[in-house]
Parts: sequence; C-alpha cells; structure tokens
Amino acid sequence: MFKDLREFLAKLEEEGQLVYYNDEVMPEPEVRLISRAACDMGSGTAPAVIMNNIKGYKGQRLAVNVHGSWANHALMFGMPKTTSLKDQFFELNRRWDNYPNGKVEWVDGDKAPCHEVILDEGKFNLLELLPCYKVNEYDGGFYLSKASVVSKDPDDPDNFDKENVGTYRLQIQDASTLCMQGLAFHDIAIQLRKAEERNEPLPVAVCLGVDPVLTFMASTPIAYDQSEYKMAAALNGIPMVLTKTTDGKLDVPAGAEFVLEGEIVPRVRVPEGPFGEFPGSYSGTRRQVLIKVKRVTHRKDPIFENLYLGRPWSEIDTLLGLNTCVPMFKQITETMPEVVAVNALYQHGLTVIIAVNPRFGGYAKSVAFRAASTPHGISYVKNIILVDGDVDPFDLEKVMWAMSTRIRGPQDVFVIPGTPGMPLDPGSEPAGMGVKVIIDATTPVAPERQLRDVRMVCPMPEAKKYQDILTDLQKAANKK
Amino acid sequence: MFKDFREFLAVLEKEGQLVRYADEIVPEPEVRLISRAACDMGSGSSPAVLMDNIRGYKGQRLAVNVHGSWANHALMLGMPKTASLKEQFFELEHRWDKYEEGKVEWIDSDKAPCHEAVLDEGAFNLLELLPCFKINEYDGGFYLSKASVVSKDPDEPDNFDKENVGIYRIQMLDADTLSMQGLPFHDIAIQLRKAEERNEPLPVAICLGMDPVISFMASTPIAYDQSEYKMAAALKGAPVVLTKTTDGKLDVPAGAEFVLEGEIVPRVRIPEGPFGEFPGSYSGARRQVLIKIRRVTHRKDPIFENLYIGRPWGEIDTLGGLNTSISLFKQITETMPEVVAINAMYQHGLTVVIAVNPRFGGYAKSVAFRAASTPHGISYVKNIILVDGDVDPFDLEKVMWAMSTRIRGPQDVFVIPGTPGMPLDPSSEPPGMGVKVVIDATTPVAPERQLRDVRMVCPMPEARKYQDILTDLQKAANKK
Amino acid sequence: MKCIRCGKEDSVHVVAKAPDGSGAWEIYKCDVCNYGWRSSEPAKMLDSSKWDPFFSLIGVDLNKLMIPCPIPPLREK
Repeated sequence: MFKDLREFLAKLEEEGQLVYYNDEVMPEPEVRLISRAACDMGSGTAPAVIMNNIKGYKGQRLAVNVHGSWANHALMFGMPKTTSLKDQFFELNRRWDNYPNGKVEWVDGDKAPCHEVILDEGKFNLLELLPCYKVNEYDGGFYLSKASVVSKDPDDPDNFDKENVGTYRLQIQDASTLCMQGLAFHDIAIQLRKAEERNEPLPVAVCLGVDPVLTFMASTPIAYDQSEYKMAAALNGIPMVLTKTTDGKLDVPAGAEFVLEGEIVPRVRVPEGPFGEFPGSYSGTRRQVLIKVKRVTHRKDPIFENLYLGRPWSEIDTLLGLNTCVPMFKQITETMPEVVAVNALYQHGLTVIIAVNPRFGGYAKSVAFRAASTPHGISYVKNIILVDGDVDPFDLEKVMWAMSTRIRGPQDVFVIPGTPGMPLDPGSEPAGMGVKVIIDATTPVAPERQLRDVRMVCPMPEAKKYQDILTDLQKAANKK
Repeated sequence: MFKDFREFLAVLEKEGQLVRYADEIVPEPEVRLISRAACDMGSGSSPAVLMDNIRGYKGQRLAVNVHGSWANHALMLGMPKTASLKEQFFELEHRWDKYEEGKVEWIDSDKAPCHEAVLDEGAFNLLELLPCFKINEYDGGFYLSKASVVSKDPDEPDNFDKENVGIYRIQMLDADTLSMQGLPFHDIAIQLRKAEERNEPLPVAICLGMDPVISFMASTPIAYDQSEYKMAAALKGAPVVLTKTTDGKLDVPAGAEFVLEGEIVPRVRIPEGPFGEFPGSYSGARRQVLIKIRRVTHRKDPIFENLYIGRPWGEIDTLGGLNTSISLFKQITETMPEVVAINAMYQHGLTVVIAVNPRFGGYAKSVAFRAASTPHGISYVKNIILVDGDVDPFDLEKVMWAMSTRIRGPQDVFVIPGTPGMPLDPSSEPPGMGVKVVIDATTPVAPERQLRDVRMVCPMPEARKYQDILTDLQKAANKK
Repeated sequence: MKCIRCGKEDSVHVVAKAPDGSGAWEIYKCDVCNYGWRSSEPAKMLDSSKWDPFFSLIGVDLNKLMIPCPIPPLREK
C-alpha cells in the first residue's frame, strides 16, 4: 500500500491523522508528555505527531504515535479510517493467508533512498543523530522503542525466509553502542546462540522509520522460517522493496529512514534497563546483549520514528493488538471452526475475549482450554472471557452486556491457579507463574440445561444500511 | 441553557448531533431499523434522528436517540460534546448535591405551550396522533418507551415533593386506552396501591417530549419524597417551568410536546407485552395496569419523542447510565469515601466497575459487599469489578488492563451463588435469584502481601495540557 | 564525575552534546552501570536522593543481575 514511512505520513496528514508540533520542546520531559498526550486522545482516532523543534536537536524530526490509533491502523491497511476493529480483524485475517503471494523486489544499494547519506565509524554519534529522549522517567537511558532489527541464521545465511526482522527494545549507550533485550524465546536469540557458540559476531541492521506494515510484522511472532518481508508484502498487496546493506551482509527496506549497520558482540552481556514496559510497569536492570554499530546510512532529512509505551492505552497496544489476535485465531480455528473472532488486544493477550458459537454444552470452556494451550497462550493468556458468536468481542460495551446477562453462577466462572504465567505481569508471582481465569458468558446449548425460556431481541443486520445513511448525514451536519 | 425539548434539539443540530431523515419510510420495520442504526453508530457521538416522512403519518414528526450518545448527554448537561464520561460523572455528582437549590416556576395554564392544542375525549386517537411504530418485532403492540408519567400521592395530594415523575413502559391499546407496567418497587406503585385500596382512580399525566434533563431524572430512582422537577432544576442550574394540567389535578412541564391527561382505572389488570427490554431480551405478556385518557394537549406542530431499547448499546443505556452510577456512588461513599468513581452503566448496574483506593488489605472486597447490599445493588448488581483509584472505571480498555495485571489468583475472583437477582436478567433462575461475581483487580495494600517488587510507570497528569494542544491541532487538520 | 545511579566515582563521561550547536545540554553515561542521562532533565532526575529508591543501584552487585538471554557453551571445534 505505502512503500515507505513518508508515503504513509502523507496519507495520515491528508486524513487529519497527523499533526505537527512546532513549538520548542525539551527532550525531557516534554517529548514524553506529548507522546503520552497523543495516546491519551484515545485509541479511536489519536493522530501521529511530528516534532521538529526539540531543544538541542533543532530541525531534526521525530515522529511518534504513527500506529497509535485504530484510525491510523485502518489507513495503514488501505481501509477507511472509520473501519471498525472487527472489520479490520477479518480483513487482516483474510490477507494473512496471502503469504505465498508476498513478493520482494530489489533495488541496487547505490540507488536506495536509505543510502542517500553514509556515515562511517567515527562520523556519527547516535545520541546526536537521532533526536532521542527518555521514553519513561526512570528508563536506564535513551531507547529505540520501535526499531526493526534484521539478522540472519548463521547456519543458513542464504535462507531468505529465515532472515529475521524483529522489534526489540534497544538502549543507546553512546555514539556507536547499543544494548538490546533478546529474550530466549525470540527468533533472534536462536541466531545469536548459534553465533555465540562459535564465538562469532552476529551481523545486524537496525532499521528505523520503515513501511508501517513492516513495523507491524516485525512486532508479530510468526514461524521462524517465515519471512517478515514476504508477510508484510502479502498484507500490503504490493512487493516489499529491499536493498543490501552497504556491507552486503543483510537485506533492509530500501526506503528506511535510518539503517544502523553493526553486529552483536559475542559472549558479552552488559547492564541495560530499567525500561517502562507494556504492562505499565518497569522491567528492571538486566545484563543484556551488546551491539557495536559500524556504519549509519540514512535518507536526506531523515525522520526518527519512536513510540511511547507505558500505562495502557499507548501506541504499543495498537501496534501489537491485532497481530496478537490473528495468529491466535488461526491456531484455535484449525480445530475449532466455531470460534468467530478473538480479541487479544489487552496487554499482548493477558486478557482475551473469544466469540464462539458453542457446538455443544460446555464447549465454550473447551475453547478457553485451547486458548490457554496455544504457544502464545500458555504463558500470556490469563483472563479468558467467552461470549456468543453474535457478540462483537472488540466492542467492550457488548462484552459487558454478555457478562451482565449470561453468567449464571459458579458453573461459569473458574480460577485455575499454579499455571504458567507471563513474567512481565506484575500479578505473576513468582515471575513466570500465573493463573487462568475463565468467564463463560455464552448462552448454554444442549445437552446443558438452557436458560429459562427467554427470547432475545434479534440482531438486525438490515440496520447497517441505515447506519451508513445516518453516518453520511452526520458528516454533512458537521461540515456546516 | 435550553428550557424545553425543542431548544435542546436546536442545540443538538448546531453541534452536528441531530440529523433529519427526510426520505419516506414505512413505520415497520424502517423506523425500528433507523433507530437501531442510530444506536449502532456508537455510544460516543451518535446523533439524534428526526423523521417526518413516515408513511401514513406524513408531516408528523418523530425524534429518536435524543439521549443516545455521551456527546448528546454532555450537551444536555451544558458541557462540551467531547466531555469524557468521567468528567460528566463528576460534574453530575457535584450538581446532585444542589437539590435544595432546585427551583420551580409556574405559568398559567392558558399560556403554556403544551396547551396550544386541546383535544377532548372523542376528538383524538392516540394511534393516529402519535407517529407510533413497533419498537421490536415481537412487541405486543405500539409502545411509548420514553413517556414521563406524573402522579400524586392520594394521601398527600398537596405534597409537591411526593408528586412523582417516572418513565414506565406504556402500550397503546386503542384511541384512548393505555396499559402500563408498574413494578412493586416503582414509586407510582405506592401511589396506585393507596388509590386502589379505596377503589379510586389515580389521575395521571403522561408527558412526551420534554426538557431532556426532566426525562433523565424521570428515569432515575430517587427518594420517594424527592421531587424530580426540583432535582432536574438543580442539575440544570435553572428553574423548571411547570403548569397545571387543564383539569388542574397535576403539574406538568409547560413546554412538553404532548400531555395525555387521564387516570389509572382501579383494580383492573389487562394483558400487556411482550416488550423488548434493556437486557436485550423480551419480557413476556403480563397482566398490567389500565389507563384511560380523557384529554390530550399538545404544542403546535408537535414532536413525538420515543427511544429504541433492545440489545445494547441502545438509547436506554445512555439515558440510564450515569444516573444509576451516581445513585450507587452516593450511597457507597456515605461510609466508604475511598471510592473514587463508579461505572454502573451496564444493564442498569448488572455489571459495575468501581475505582477505589483500598484503605487496608482486602478493603476492595468490602466495597464489593457494600455495592451488593445497596438498595439497587441487592437485586441488580451481579458482576463487580474493582480497580485502583487511578484507573478510570469508565474507560474499559483500562479496566481490561487492570484485570490483565492485577488479578493474582483465586484470592481475587469469587462467585457467590444463591443471592437475590434481577428478574429481567435472562440468566436469573428462578427469576429473582442470582449470583454475585467479585473480581478484585486492585493492587494489594498492607497488611496483605504486596505484589512482588515492581514499579508502575507513573500517571502523568501534566500530559493533559499537551492533549488539549494536540486535540486543537487535529481539529484544525480536519477542517482543512 | 560520579554516577547518579550506581554511585561509582569517576565512571561518567560526556557522550553527546546538543547537535544544533546551541549548547543546550550534554548527555552523560556511566561505564559501570550504563546509566545514561541528559544534563537538562528535570531537577528531580538529576539528584538520585529524590528518586524512588527502587531504581537506585548503589550497593548492587551488577555481576549478579539476571541474564535474560544466556550465553551458550562454545561449540566443540
């Protein structure tokens, strides 16, 4: 759809979903406050914000909240900005199967926009080149919170599908040093392990400001031998245009704003953190992976893209929302086609809401067990709310209604302690142990005893036509 | 501030919150579908809809969804249409205490706009005078779903404070006969009981199309000896203007669009219903109270106001949302000032979310017990979700976050079967029996064992200033 | 210069200056605990005695910090 970040920003601007903050601001705390404020405008229509007058970085551009609302999310996929979350879910679910059609095109390194400016070692200082700031007050330093890290499998370097593109948090240490959190279950950890077993560096390219769909895919856990580039192309419906890094080792988006070429130094771990994380809590200081950056390339007048994360709702929640939902939906529906939709938007799926047409009595609870045993669900999924197939699980007012009118008693609410848990969940104690809470708000079906003889008011799909008419009338009224 | 229904519609129109549906439509099913569609536009900013081309009623005007969104609700309170729910809650909570300041003014009956047209018995047919329609498919007939019924206490006819104004569902049976549901806990049932004990009719005035604040108060259960008129005046900060009915028996809003003067026939019960009710289910056919209408008065070119009710979100949910929340809040905070806010918007409080700063370990659960033992809560409140005081209970995304990160295990989720329940809840079996589900998603405080040593990212009230700036910037961007 | 987080003496040096030449601020880094900060941060953040003590690393053995991505044994050659 959009071949790079700039095209997308232009679209956002055209749609009233991008604003410019031109007044002079302090890197701390104002950039944080503005980023937080953008999130506080609500997940519906909060705009992206470009700042270009950060004290000390005058003229350098920073973009935040690019993925920060469902309006922007819809535009990213070429849909109208008013598209409902449920419609975005189904569209994404449909495109997901398009993976085999995801195509990659190549442009020569010297023609790639991302190579317009090349800065060798000693010629750049990351802390000066990027208008960086403390994302949260007590962060251990200056973070790249939205960087896509590219790396290859050392045992299989020619396998394009195994080339990994992932978003990992990166602390900028000094002019050319980064520190990265790579958790054991991340794809890059598999590659790093192979390199470190040989005491060899692992080449990486840290890309900033890429096509928004690529950022979206970089934050989606897909199979190790699936290419994020191809998947992004499949979702985008246009080929992903790549180029080689100047050292020829890795493949990067030709239109990236910045590419930091470097390598992970083998067998070294240095202090990193704390960092305000997606559950709204800080994760502590840890010993993490060290990256030396050897060369930086960037576009002319580059835009540094970063995101705010912390207490929800923040950009990370919108960025990670539907890409957590769709893979879980795919996994569950492999054997349970009665599942209509899965909302796993909350804290990476700590709370999920599943719409299902139960096949027989008690089946909704079987669906909960399946959700709690998917690869992601084992650790992440904690609270599971089940609603009928005709309830939109993305519409929380309707979910409350289902809970109000479908819960009968102890047979519908369960707590299972002593399960695996998500270490970043502050309620997990000890970290990594957890609980599953199952709330079955579906209507009982045979052979279970039915609700007493009541009739629900029927849904009215025919009303949709009139909704469109009224929406147009209101738009016209607001233009007056 | 507006003084009647028409002035409020003018405010809505000016704010882009009223649309006119001018195409010809049939009463069934199109009026229902359009009303449903207005609700489906979402509780945030869906508009009121005015229809004036209903086949057979050409030229007669019908207004629906007047209270159908939080934007309209804010405008009703004289706040900007973008006021958040939490802001509206606190504003309303503040005004609630001004009951004593609520003033009433009188104008002579012959000067009251509601008496511009006077139709005596035989000269009107309600089913022709009001552009009525089947609200839901299987309703037993044509309903007034937003009528305020005025009546006095037969033992104390001169006690103005005991004059009751309440919204009860009313089925129109023929030209001048109505059937009304009055449940034993309704104020009017107290008055009717006294009249029927003496085999006397109870005079009633049924008012349609009033100042929206009076409709709002008519749907709020307040004390028997509190005047809805005075309370409405207190909320408005301006006097409510009343007049006498033409028979001199009752007091009605001078600016009402229609006033139906009549009486409840004593000791008679006739079949009424079914009717699609607020839990989204039909309540069955019952034997209910009979009303004879003796005279109808109305304004010139009157507007019939009605509301859609059925599967949430419907207008009834917005109309009854905050007034349920405030009543509960007032009662609980009498002894528990640690409670910060209460969201009891879902199905009249079947599901409530309470924000509280627990005074000591386990205190949040005590708050749940209190909620479940308030006059309204005994039967209505079923699911109780407790969140920390710094979580906005009206923002369900944040409530999901609290559930994601604060539930620790079985100590935080309880199910208590065999409690009183709400008969209209389809899961209540037998009707009137129920369950209480308590979900404690607050952070533990001493002497309870704390969460493991984690630090949450601090809330940033300072970001609010920037949010206002960004909001203005986006408004300007959208005007381009 | 002393690190405001871990308290080590002489561990801090300047790693960046305002690139627009305004002299608006400098960025410092501690070589021991890797804490980074800017001279223009709000006063509270420049004085760790005003911090939530949870975030101080004074007296903490940095070698004992958790390693989320463990270093594997070397492969046999």
